[in-house]
Amino acid sequence: MTADLGFWVLQMLNALQLSMLLFLLSVGLTVIFGLMHFVNLAHGSLYAFGAYVAASLAGVLGYWGGFFLAPLAVAAMGAALYFTLIRSQRRAGPMAQVLITFGLIFVAVDATRLVWGDLPIGIAVPAVFEGQLSLLGVEYPIYRLFIITLGLAVLGVLTLILSRTQIGAMIRAGVDNDQMAACLGINVERMFFLVFVVGCALAGLAGAVAAPVLSVTPDMGLQILIPTLIVIVIGGLGSLKGAVAGSLIFGFVQTFGAVLLPTLSSVLIYALLAAVLVARPQGLLPAKG
Amino acid sequence: MLDLTDLSSGYGETQVLHGLSLKAEPGRVLAILGRNGAGKSTTLKTIMGLLPARGGSVSFGGKKLTGLAPFDIARLGIAYVPETRDIFRSLTVRENLDLAARRFPCPPGGWTVDRVVDLFPRLGERMDNGGDQLSGGEAQMLAIARGLLMNPRLLILDEPTEGLAPIIVKLIHAKLAELKGDGLSMVLVEQNFGFATSLADDVVIVSRGTIVWQGSTEAIRSDVEAQHRWLGV
Repeated sequence: MTADLGFWVLQMLNALQLSMLLFLLSVGLTVIFGLMHFVNLAHGSLYAFGAYVAASLAGVLGYWGGFFLAPLAVAAMGAALYFTLIRSQRRAGPMAQVLITFGLIFVAVDATRLVWGDLPIGIAVPAVFEGQLSLLGVEYPIYRLFIITLGLAVLGVLTLILSRTQIGAMIRAGVDNDQMAACLGINVERMFFLVFVVGCALAGLAGAVAAPVLSVTPDMGLQILIPTLIVIVIGGLGSLKGAVAGSLIFGFVQTFGAVLLPTLSSVLIYALLAAVLVARPQGLLPAKG
Repeated sequence: MLDLTDLSSGYGETQVLHGLSLKAEPGRVLAILGRNGAGKSTTLKTIMGLLPARGGSVSFGGKKLTGLAPFDIARLGIAYVPETRDIFRSLTVRENLDLAARRFPCPPGGWTVDRVVDLFPRLGERMDNGGDQLSGGEAQMLAIARGLLMNPRLLILDEPTEGLAPIIVKLIHAKLAELKGDGLSMVLVEQNFGFATSLADDVVIVSRGTIVWQGSTEAIRSDVEAQHRWLGV
């Protein structure tokens, strides 16, 4: 099986698809952390919320209604969280932040159960992306290729914004040294709010695009949390490049581990995480030098 | 223009400033001298709002700064050049300069990127280098240039000569003297007595978080006893 080119192509695409999904989630979380040292464990719950909103709207407005409105709904939810819980905890230290956002996860899980019930919800792939595409001898679902393309497009746009625009320079300056950025007249708190809301929107987008390929369940946010945290720890907290590298590493190790070393697959990524923590505790591509 | 009245401040449990009062006058250079740990840097950080004042007040041009956030204080016209320089490592030299230049309107005859490069030609050669690729001297020039691009009414500098080679210290001295000649108001924290007194008009000495001596540069130069007692010169 491993001598077959088709096998490699197929697994490569699977790995990329998982990587891109993780990237959409981890990029917001890592920049939020880098900018404000704020740990938001409920980030995965926002992803689940996005998936549910997309699934509900898909029934009324079709897939694209959910695709465009879910990120907005999650951004609005993020803004509400910011004003109610997060802003007041900004200087409360990591322990309070972890406890509050960890508690939020359980609130979110039960709230989704109350609203949407326990049963997994399915959502259909949009008509344009139905079917398979033949790629190097492999039949691959077009929708999954769309996820990969979308992830790459978001990566491209974010890279451009961060490296070429004034707001990007302000964000990088804030990640480097938020106090000095403030001394140059930058309202770091407002910038944090903006980044936080955009990060939430991206988590919502990830939920919306994942909904047709994964089943939408109340605990999906909890399930994605650990992989997302592993991604940002491997990549380096606060760094966009780190989020990209961490997502790719996680996606490929997880996917290829499952087919090549099935007995070890569940341990592999944790072993890698441990190795990274021992050799480079600041992550592979940390934001600060 | 800058008035500190009975200011108390510190870090966590440790109080560093105990009722410190001083005045900086417009168009003049005030040097804050004192031994290590006396509270000089703490004073500057409290002025900038990086440390909260626990008592007393800071006012600037008649406006109360106490309780304002650092970005508000910066926008009121105080530029801060910290001891650690705090160049943004992931930004290029140009981006470090632009960040300040684009946030503050440039009055006629004010500081532009071209003008600060004229002041520090070395920075012109380094425009596309990363903030993490600079020597200590270049980082200090960039930190000062960045402060000037805010077109501040007051420039405050924390130990601008620390860790620099004598030739760079001389250059920084010449540039600061040029700024003083242009009438820029400055507050200067220094360990280097000669450097500070050759630039300053007024001098205060801090010890244990309070002002123990104040007067003119000439007075401190001739007051050998005060130098010995408070500065160990």
